[in-house]
Order: sequence, then C-alpha cells, then structure tokens
Amino acid sequence: MSKTIPDALIDNDSPQEKAEKEFGSLTSKEWLFVSKHNPGEPLPVPIEDEPPYFILIATYLNYLILIIIGHIRDFFGKLFHPELFRDVMVKDGIAPWYANFESFYTRRLKTRLDDCFARPICGVPGRYIKCYDRTSDDYNNTYNYSGTVTERLNLSSYNYLGFAQSSGLCTSESIKTVEKYGTNSAGPRVSVGTTDLHLECEDVVAKFTGKDNALVFSMGYGTNANLFTSLVDSKCCVISDSLNHGSIRTGVRLSGASVKTFAHNDMAALERTLRSVISQGQPKTHRPWKKIFVAVEGLYSMEGTLCNLPKLVELRKRYKFYLFVDEAHSIGAMGPNGKGVCDYFGISSSNIDIMMGTFTKSFGATGGYIAADKAIIDRLKLDLTTNTYGESMSPAVLTQIITSLKIIDGQLNGNEGKERLQRIAFNSRYLRLGLKRLGFIVYGADDSPVIPLLLYLPPKMPAFSRMMYDRKVAVVVVGYPATDITSSRIRFCVSSSLKKEDIDYLLKCCDEIGDTLFLKFSTGIAGGEKHPGDYKKGIAPRWTLEEVLEKTPEDCKKAMY
Amino acid sequence: MSTTTVTTTTILLPEYLENIYAEVETSFGRFLSLVREIPGGAIIINYIRASYKNDPYRSLFELALALFAIRYFLASKFSYNEKDMVKLSDKDIDELVEEWNPEPIVLPVSDKEQWQADSNPLVIGAVASRVELQVPNGEHLKNVANLASNDFLNMSQREETKDAAKKQIAFSGIGACGPPNFYGTQDAHARLEEDLARFLGAERAILYSQDFCTVPSVIACFLKRGDIVVYDSGIALATQKGIELSRCTAYHFNHNDMDNLEKVLADLKPMLDEGPLTRRFIITEGLFQNFGDSPDLRRICELKKKFKYRLFLDETLSIGVLGATGRGLPELYGIPRTDVEVTTGALSYALGSSGGFCVGENAMVHHQLISSSAYVFSAAIPPYFARVASVSLRLLQEDDSVSRLQSSINFLYSKFKECQKLKKLVIITSSDVSPILHLRLHRDLRSRLDLPVSYGGPGSAMEKIVQRGDEHGYFDENYNRESQILQQIVDRVLNNHNILITRCKRILHHEKLPLLPELMIHINVAFSESELSEAFEAVSSEIYNVLQQL
Ligand SMILES: Cc1ncc(COP(=O)(O)O)c(C=O)c1O
Repeated sequence: MSKTIPDALIDNDSPQEKAEKEFGSLTSKEWLFVSKHNPGEPLPVPIEDEPPYFILIATYLNYLILIIIGHIRDFFGKLFHPELFRDVMVKDGIAPWYANFESFYTRRLKTRLDDCFARPICGVPGRYIKCYDRTSDDYNNTYNYSGTVTERLNLSSYNYLGFAQSSGLCTSESIKTVEKYGTNSAGPRVSVGTTDLHLECEDVVAKFTGKDNALVFSMGYGTNANLFTSLVDSKCCVISDSLNHGSIRTGVRLSGASVKTFAHNDMAALERTLRSVISQGQPKTHRPWKKIFVAVEGLYSMEGTLCNLPKLVELRKRYKFYLFVDEAHSIGAMGPNGKGVCDYFGISSSNIDIMMGTFTKSFGATGGYIAADKAIIDRLKLDLTTNTYGESMSPAVLTQIITSLKIIDGQLNGNEGKERLQRIAFNSRYLRLGLKRLGFIVYGADDSPVIPLLLYLPPKMPAFSRMMYDRKVAVVVVGYPATDITSSRIRFCVSSSLKKEDIDYLLKCCDEIGDTLFLKFSTGIAGGEKHPGDYKKGIAPRWTLEEVLEKTPEDCKKAMY
Repeated sequence: MSTTTVTTTTILLPEYLENIYAEVETSFGRFLSLVREIPGGAIIINYIRASYKNDPYRSLFELALALFAIRYFLASKFSYNEKDMVKLSDKDIDELVEEWNPEPIVLPVSDKEQWQADSNPLVIGAVASRVELQVPNGEHLKNVANLASNDFLNMSQREETKDAAKKQIAFSGIGACGPPNFYGTQDAHARLEEDLARFLGAERAILYSQDFCTVPSVIACFLKRGDIVVYDSGIALATQKGIELSRCTAYHFNHNDMDNLEKVLADLKPMLDEGPLTRRFIITEGLFQNFGDSPDLRRICELKKKFKYRLFLDETLSIGVLGATGRGLPELYGIPRTDVEVTTGALSYALGSSGGFCVGENAMVHHQLISSSAYVFSAAIPPYFARVASVSLRLLQEDDSVSRLQSSINFLYSKFKECQKLKKLVIITSSDVSPILHLRLHRDLRSRLDLPVSYGGPGSAMEKIVQRGDEHGYFDENYNRESQILQQIVDRVLNNHNILITRCKRILHHEKLPLLPELMIHINVAFSESELSEAFEAVSSEIYNVLQQL
C-alpha cells in the first residue's frame, strides 16, 4: 500500500490485444451511421424532460440536510478538532488562503464523493482505461494505492474519434518527430518557436475548417482566455450563451468588454438582447457600440446540445454582429466529414467570423486553434498575447494533429477516417436511444456524442459512479457548481473506439443501476416511446433490456429517432 | 429555437393539498408584488421566474439555499440602469439596427507594421542550439547559432529526454484527453508533481498546461475583490493580467526598490489595520522576464514578515538557472523555499518541456485543484510533457549543466560589461546570473534620437488610447522606430555572422507598465567559450555599426 500514485505496471498484452483495448475493431458494417442535419429542415428541438415533483423536492431537501449537517459538523469540529480547520483560520495575523464559506462546499459536500473524481490512470485513455485501485480510510482525504490497476470501459475521456492510441500512424509519426525535432519548440512563436511543422499544421487546420488561415496554441483554455483582449474593449459588447465554457468567460472578462448573457440556446432571447443592446448603445452615453460579438459553443459539453447555427447565421445577417463559435467538442466529432457544426448543418464556414476549437478532444492531442479570414489572422499574429508571450506548440503534438486531421480527411489511411466518423455517429445514437427507451432522462441533440443522464439527487452521483466502477465502467459525474443545483448528472462521452457490444454492456449496466437507484422517470416526451403517440396517452417508455438490445441498433439509424 | 420544458406532475395531489397549494400560490403572488415594489425586486423576481419556471414551490425551496448560492455568483454582468433606458418602439429599433454598422473585427495590418511579422524567424527542423532558418526571400541559412532559445540547458535535444518522450508516447499516446479531475491524471503527472516539490523543497506541486496561463490563474484563484496586492512595477504581462483578472486592489512599488516597497507597505498599514483582515500578497519575479534582474529576496522576506503579507514569486525564468543547483532565487539567497508562499514556474524554459506549475504548501495547492480556472477547465498536459520535465530535473541534478550554464553566462556578461566601445551606446539591464542578456539603447543616445523615456504605463498617452478603445492609436511611431533599429542589429548579426539573436517583442497596448525595447541574447549551455566569444564579437560590432551611424 502506498499513499502516492504508483508507477505503471508492465502489461503483458500482445500488441494486438493492446490495440484492441485502445480501439475496438468494428464488428459489423451495420454499426455505422452518417450524422447530418438536412438543410432546410427546422432544427429538431431537444426536449428536456422533467422528473416527478417529489424528485425535485427530495433534491432540495438533500442539499438542505447536507448543508445543515455540514454546519453542525463545522461547529463541533471547530470546537473539538481545531487542528482540522487550520486552513481556514487566521494564523500569525495572515488571512487564510480561502474563506471558510469558499471551502464549505468542498469540505462538506464534495469531499464525500471525492473518490469519484480525479481517479488516477495510466496508459492510453482509449476504449479501456487503466484505473489505479485505491481505497480511503479517512473519508477521501488521502488514498491508499495497492499498486494494481483495473481496466474499465471508458465513457469519460474526450476521445471522440478514438485517436488516443499508442500504436498506429499518429503515434509512429509523432515518435519520429520527437527524434527529429526534440521535445519542445524552445520559445514563443515570435522569437524562435515557429518551425515548418507549425506552418504545416496551421495550413492543414485552415483547410480543414474552410477558413483562409489559422493559428495554433499550446492550450485550448489559453486560446480563449487571451483571445478577446485582442478583439474587443470596453466600447464593445459580447453577448454570451449562459452555459459558455469557463475559458470564454475568463477571456471576455479580461477584455473589459460589456457582457450580456442569454438563456442557453434561446434564440428568441438572443434576438431580444441584440435589439436592446443595439438600440440602447453603450451604457450611459448611448453611443453606438464599436463591435458586438456573439459567443457560442458548437457542442455544449455538459448538456450535449448543439448551437442553433442556422438561426445564428440568420440573425448575424440581420444584426451585423460578429459570430464566435467554440468548436472544442464539435470539431472532429460532428458532421459527415467531421468538420464540426458547419459541416453538420451544411452551412459554409464563411458565416462564422472566428472559429475556435481545441485539439484535446477529437484528435487525441492538446492545444487550441483559431481559424479566420487572412486579415484577422494577420492582425492576431501581431496582437495576440498567447502568440507573442506564450510557449509555442510542441513538435510531436503538431504531428499528432496533422496526422489525425489527414486521416479524418481521407488523405491518409484510406477509409479509416470515414469509419471513425460513422462509428461515433452510430454509437452516440444507439446509446442515446437505448437510454431513452429504458426510461432515463437524457439531455441533448440526437447526434451528439455527449450524453448527460440526469440523476437529480446529489447522493446518486457517487452511487451511480461507484456502481458503474464496480461493473468496470468509468464514467464522469457532474454536479453543482458545474451544473445548476437540481440537475446533477452522469456524462457519457461516446467514442468511435467503442464497439457496439460495449454499448450493449453499458446499457445492461445502466438498466440494473437505474432500477436500483430509481432513475427511470422519463415521460416519453423526449422520445423512446414504444409506439408513436404513447406519450400523449400517458404511457412512459420502459422497455426491457432485451427489447432495447434487439430493436435499438436498427431503430437508432432512422430519422424519426 | 428555445428548449421547450414541459412540467409533468405524475403524482396526484390529494384535495386538501390542492387547497394549500392554491393558498400558498395566492399569498406568494401577493408577496411577489410586494417584492416588486422594492428597487431591484423585479429583477430578482424575474431571475427566479426564469430559473424556476414560474413555480412557487421550487422557488421557496431555492430561497432557503439562496444565501449559500449567492456567494458563488460573484460574476459581473453589466446591465442598463432602468432610468437610463430609452423607451423605443419596435420600428425605432428596426431603424437603429438598420443604421448600426460595426467597426471591422480588426484593423488591417498596415505597411508600417508588416515588417514585424516578416522579421519572425522560421526554423526548418529542430529548434536546437544550431538551427536551419528560412529567411523571407526563401533562402535557407544552415547551421545558424541559436542565441534566441529559451531552452538554456538544451534539454529538448538531449537523448535522455527524447527517449523518455518516445517511450511515454508509445505507452500512453499524445493527449491526456481529459481534465485532471476527470481521469486526466496519470502516473507521469504524479511523478513530476512529486519531483518538482522535492526539487524545490515545497510540500506539493500542481501542473498547468501552458506557461502563460499559469500565473493569471493562480493569482485569480487566491485574490478576490477587496484583497490586496503590492507588486513590483517590472512584472511580466502574464502577472499583470492575473492582477487585472482577480479584481483585487493593487499597489505597486518601484522596480526592485526595497525601500520603496517598505514605504508602500508602511503607508498602507494604517488603512489595512482598520479594515477587515484580507489576503495580502507581494508579487515579484525570481528573474524578471522584462529586465533579467532579480529582487533582494532577503529584504522582501523581512518586509513580508513584518507587514504580514504572503510572497508570490514567479520563477518562470529562474528555475533550473539560478542558485548553485538551479533551485531558483531562494537558493541563491540561502532562504528556504517554505519562506516563499507561492512559487510559479514554467516547464517550457530550462526544463525543455511545455506547461507551467505552482508549488507551495498543501492547503494552497489543494485549493487550486478545484478553484483555479486554468486547471479545472482545461485538459491535463500530455503525459510525455511531464515525463520529459521529470527527466530534465533528474539530469540537471546529476550533471553539471547548471554550473556550465552559469559560467557561460558569466563569461558573456563580463565580455559585454568590459567592452569599452559599447559603453556609450547600450546599457546592460540584466544581472550577471541571467541566461538572457538584455541590452537597451543608452540614455544619451535615446535622447539624441528624440525617443521618449519609456513607452506606455500608468498615466501615459497609450493608456488613455487603450481606455478609449482607439485601435488606430495602438501603433506608436517611436516604439516602432526603436524596435526597427534593434531589428536592424538582429538582421545584420544573422546575415553577416550566421548567429540568431532576438529582441523583446512586447505588445505595447497590452502592457500595463512602462517598457523599453531591448536586444536579447539567450545563452545556451551547448556553446563553448570560443563560440560565445565569436557571438560577442559579432553582436558588439553590429551594435556599433548600426548605432554609430545614428
Ligand atoms: C468549450 C471549450 N473550450 C475550451 C476548452 C479548453 O480546452 P483545453 O482542454 O484544450 O484547454 C474546453 C475544454 O474543456 C471546452 O470544453
């Protein structure tokens, strides 16, 4: 037993076994699907189902009890065990690192389920993930590691296209790059950090996104966090979706621009905001704004919803704002060619002014990019702080990006890219429809590889996560403050590397746990009905597992689902 | 499109409950109209309405939690003052929308600025101590001595680090594919965190994915509105951004002037003694990125103890460079690392990898795990970055890289220091331990050329231009001219001597503090004394040639 995370064990798998565990082979050509929105059709509105009342009431009560007990424990704890509260006490006239209330949530609520977070792993986060076995005998303050790992089916990593692999073209090319280029690029882009590889990568990214030019950065978060200072200032307004990622919010805040938020994906609210913002002008002076940006994400990583790009493009024409789309999760993962939301909706990328995305997700690499018209990129090359002050991308990462993009595009490895795209589309639809039919409430668009399954009650987070863990499945739980207080959830990130059989197994696990934890309370309004119209008759979808496994793989490919 | 929400009541309420429900609903309605009377009440109600879908029961329960929740909603949003709003009809709005035309997203790059982009070198192949460059006319320069690299110890090109990288990639692929809090933490990360903590003599370390994002995120994690920061007026841009982001109350002291620091702290004391106990930090750098010099750590430590501040030391440049074994500024002063409350650093400089880190006591690091935005909202660094940095740390402890670097630094520094013909032309601002030699134009020369004392900073014309958002004003003729003079030197050193040096390329309108353009010569351990001598001859003669003509 050790208190620290052990070193990785030598594993005895043959190369074939290892490859299969990282990326499962396709068992049948039937398990493929092309995801695409037909232009002209209205965007199918993702319908959010609601649980029965008593679930919501119980959720609030749960928090209330947790908070009350937390305060009682704090009260007596401070009395009898002041040494445990050293970190929130004034010491030698110096204020604590953080205030008592800042840490209350962590101390009294999050620590209880800390074993479900930051589970250390080793090796490739592919189809399977090797999680270190650990136990805690001090309520998750420290852990004991036995040194062994358990392989678990991976529904947690952002490995949408399955490029997290330790063999194959991407890896062998990246290793060659390390040999040739070394381990980093030795400085910011403007001093010596620009190599031929950087330019090649930017070229490939620009072509892939359909923009003139692109810039790549070593971190996706940093890309957003330092972008807006170069685009907007206090005389500009940024209208931001209420569920935008923290990096966008940081970036906008740093820019000093005025910020308005609109309810997630609510285009009517956006239009109202636009009308008010444009007509009122800047606060106090009522001067017209210099620029107005609308910032949205392509695919929301906590909700599984897509931005309503057709409507945004329409509004952009009318209201002349600049459109910023963060494609962190959608690039690679969405669209018949994997080119993100534009591809999915069949809309030209010229309708988006600034396309941002990250390489951390679909491409198995790291970093971010900005793709835009030449004039914009030319200016940003001079004006962007990350570009001038931050480290430049590491060479092997660039190779991983270039190679994976070329595979997706079909320039390398023939049909492999297409197959990856079609596998993720199938897997996502299959899992989503399967869960709906079993009676779970899931959020998001039908084609989205992010599938949140709603739990509502906070104690069900650790319960679900641990029960899944025992069944050798690794999942991510998300709760307050990342979501709103009542909608604690499990988030599945589907990957191309999963086989259809893996999803069968996953559905089986969900079915069992769903019964035990009392999670099946969908009404059928969001789909999953046995017979069309069931919902109106008050019949909720509660298929048996066998029925789901038999019918869903075919049904999920039909447009009606 | 809006997300349709359908509320479904699947349990049937008994009749008496229905009555209570109705009762509650009406009295709640009355209560709501009362609240609406209070200034701002309507906003609260609308907020509650919007978030809880017009449902009194949910709102009631939520109210019980509101106090607790409000603490987490400190984000700032602007809104128009009600009185300030102009009442407009739909038709008026349509007209205004029709009339409004935005300025272009960015200003096109003018002819006067284009040279800046063109002057960035393009390296073909590895960025090693010797590089192949492609110059704008398409020509290739081979075997150029690279005196512009941040990889001072040449770690990125060592067989040991490359092997470690290759092995790790073959084991875990490139990306970590997830944030550290969700299955992104691997054994490689844990090892590096331990290695860093042990190497620096701190309790614990935390890794960040980019050097430039580390400092702002750590600062904003601990300093909030109302907290106090006293910073050196020479800090780098990342730190400036961090202070801005945190919205704390900031005061500065003159660059490396400890008496001034003492005065600032003493002046603040009466005011602070009266108010509540806030978090108080002194922020400085181990080796200033902007100047190449270091503060008097002993004095700072005394002052911070006397006035009860914490010390935040950014050692981005100094880890692996300062101190006998490369453990940074505290080692140079023989002060234990534990006297520095927060240390930030980069993996992308002397350690030959990518990313950043922060070390300090357990409680401080632990708080970052859930509250530091660049850590929480970003994927973990690729495991091979971590492995490379671990190997670099081992190497610099095992061999004599650090001391060899230091003697190279000393050698080149004394060459420049002793050079008589440069005395009237340039000033060395860096200290004799800095791996980057900073040279700026001599005061007399600058005044002869009619150049301002410094550019930007508090009270400057540039500050006002930035406040006005006047993008046309961001281009400063003098700054451009002075930078161009330095670039001439850089170009001539490259073209005539096959040596690449660089100059500071800071973006004037982003900087909050005054700055001056500088030539920068980055020393690398791979160069022998004779190569450094050659470099010195080349640089000094070209400085002379260019500046003498002015
Ligand atoms: C929408 C969005 N933008 C940006 C990022 C940051 O990307 P990275 O992890 O590469 O820093 C993320 C990652 O979680 C994201 O979801």
